[in-house]
Amino acid sequence: MPIKAWELDPNFKYEIMKEPGGEHLTACYQCSTCTLGCPITELIPSYNPRKFIQMSLLGMRKEVLSNPDLWICALCQTCTARCPQNVVVGDVLSVIRRIAEKEAEAGNITIESSRPLFEKAFLHTLEKYGRLYDMGLALEYYPNREGSRIKGMRAMMKDYKDFGMRMFKRGKMGPLGGGGVFKGMFPEKIKDKEVLKKIFEQMGEKEK
Amino acid sequence: MTINKLTYYPGCPSATMAMEQDISTKAVFEKLGIELEELEDWNCCGALEAEDPKLVIALNARNLALAEKKGQDIVTPCSICYYNLARTDKALREDEKLRAELREIDSSLEYKGTVKAKHVLDVLVNEIGLAELSRKILKKVNLKVAPYYGCYLGRPPETAFDDPDEPVLMDRLIELIGAENVPFRHLKTKCCGGPLMITRPDIAFEMARKILEGAKKAGADCIVLACPLCGMMLDAKQPDIEKALKIKLEMPVIYITQLLGLALGIEPKKLGLNKNIVGTKRILEKVR
Repeated sequence: MPIKAWELDPNFKYEIMKEPGGEHLTACYQCSTCTLGCPITELIPSYNPRKFIQMSLLGMRKEVLSNPDLWICALCQTCTARCPQNVVVGDVLSVIRRIAEKEAEAGNITIESSRPLFEKAFLHTLEKYGRLYDMGLALEYYPNREGSRIKGMRAMMKDYKDFGMRMFKRGKMGPLGGGGVFKGMFPEKIKDKEVLKKIFEQMGEKEK
Repeated sequence: MTINKLTYYPGCPSATMAMEQDISTKAVFEKLGIELEELEDWNCCGALEAEDPKLVIALNARNLALAEKKGQDIVTPCSICYYNLARTDKALREDEKLRAELREIDSSLEYKGTVKAKHVLDVLVNEIGLAELSRKILKKVNLKVAPYYGCYLGRPPETAFDDPDEPVLMDRLIELIGAENVPFRHLKTKCCGGPLMITRPDIAFEMARKILEGAKKAGADCIVLACPLCGMMLDAKQPDIEKALKIKLEMPVIYITQLLGLALGIEPKKLGLNKNIVGTKRILEKVR
């Protein structure tokens, strides 16, 4: 695919670099160490962190932000640890994902991955209770992913039926392992919820 | 260095999914005569799902500030909690402006930087030390072990406390208790796929398969690890992986604190060895 210079966004690299984690983007000299060590690239050859960086430097904003591969990074930090130029590749990709999420929320792009929904559901339980609540996360994530409550419940059952039974039998959830009859089924809440409210409000402010 | 007391940050899966890690950590420290005092009203570190570093820093500043009031270093058995606590500690020590911003959000986020965040493995090997541990070893653990470090002990460089390519801390503990490390260098620090478990199980299962089959091929009796997400992926999801990929693995996966606890002579049940999903009976037969 030829690159059309008039469609490039020369400011994209600065947009990345002004976010925490994106500062060192221009240090990249395209050696591909990030990609050669990547456990995702090993399985999905189209996944290429080096290319994401080069495309960002060139200003291929739309192509980068709407690429579904952005969402299959396993956050393993191998690229970051091995980069000879200290680009902090993992953090750069995280910045790009956050920009993509904002663009999707503004209706400018569509993200073909359920990962943002998962992360959001996770953070919602954290905001509400102060701790991760697995069941609450699943009850929000699956219906959102499937687009309806019923389909969501079905998908959740498919993923969790056997898994949940295993947890129950070993007493990791439910009454068999101590810690109450309904262990794991209801959220654990922290006392100081005011501060969480303030933290999340503040973060929301920054995004606007 | 003698430590008598540490502030304990259990992390969210400690009550449920990773309860055997929590149980065994407490049992091991009790045996070593070190009091773990749970951080009161701790909140979630944001795990890997909070991608905004400012959010991570705010969440963990609260935990660090709470620990600071107690005056002891904060220790966690979870690699991801460790990463978030340690990077927050580092960021706040270096940046007065950031500290001021947090103070403005709420006074309870004010952290002065007088405590350190540590991983249990780091404390065991580098602070308590192998010499001290070896004096307390009561049993020989005659096992072949695949030491699996995962991502956040040796990476990223800003918080790592072991080598990114050839980590050794678990290897040393395994040698110390008379067990054998199987050749596992190529897989020790390769990601298990945990963070993709729900959103891309197809990829995650293949990643986990490599670790599990690799351990089997190397002749390991079990995999030993130090992260609850790795534990969930490699142990709790193992039957799902077997079913989806039509393979037979039956590879026991235990936490390093469970293994060390056996050598210290602690009862298997007190180490939560009846909680691991893949049965641990075969392992226990080899402890004398």
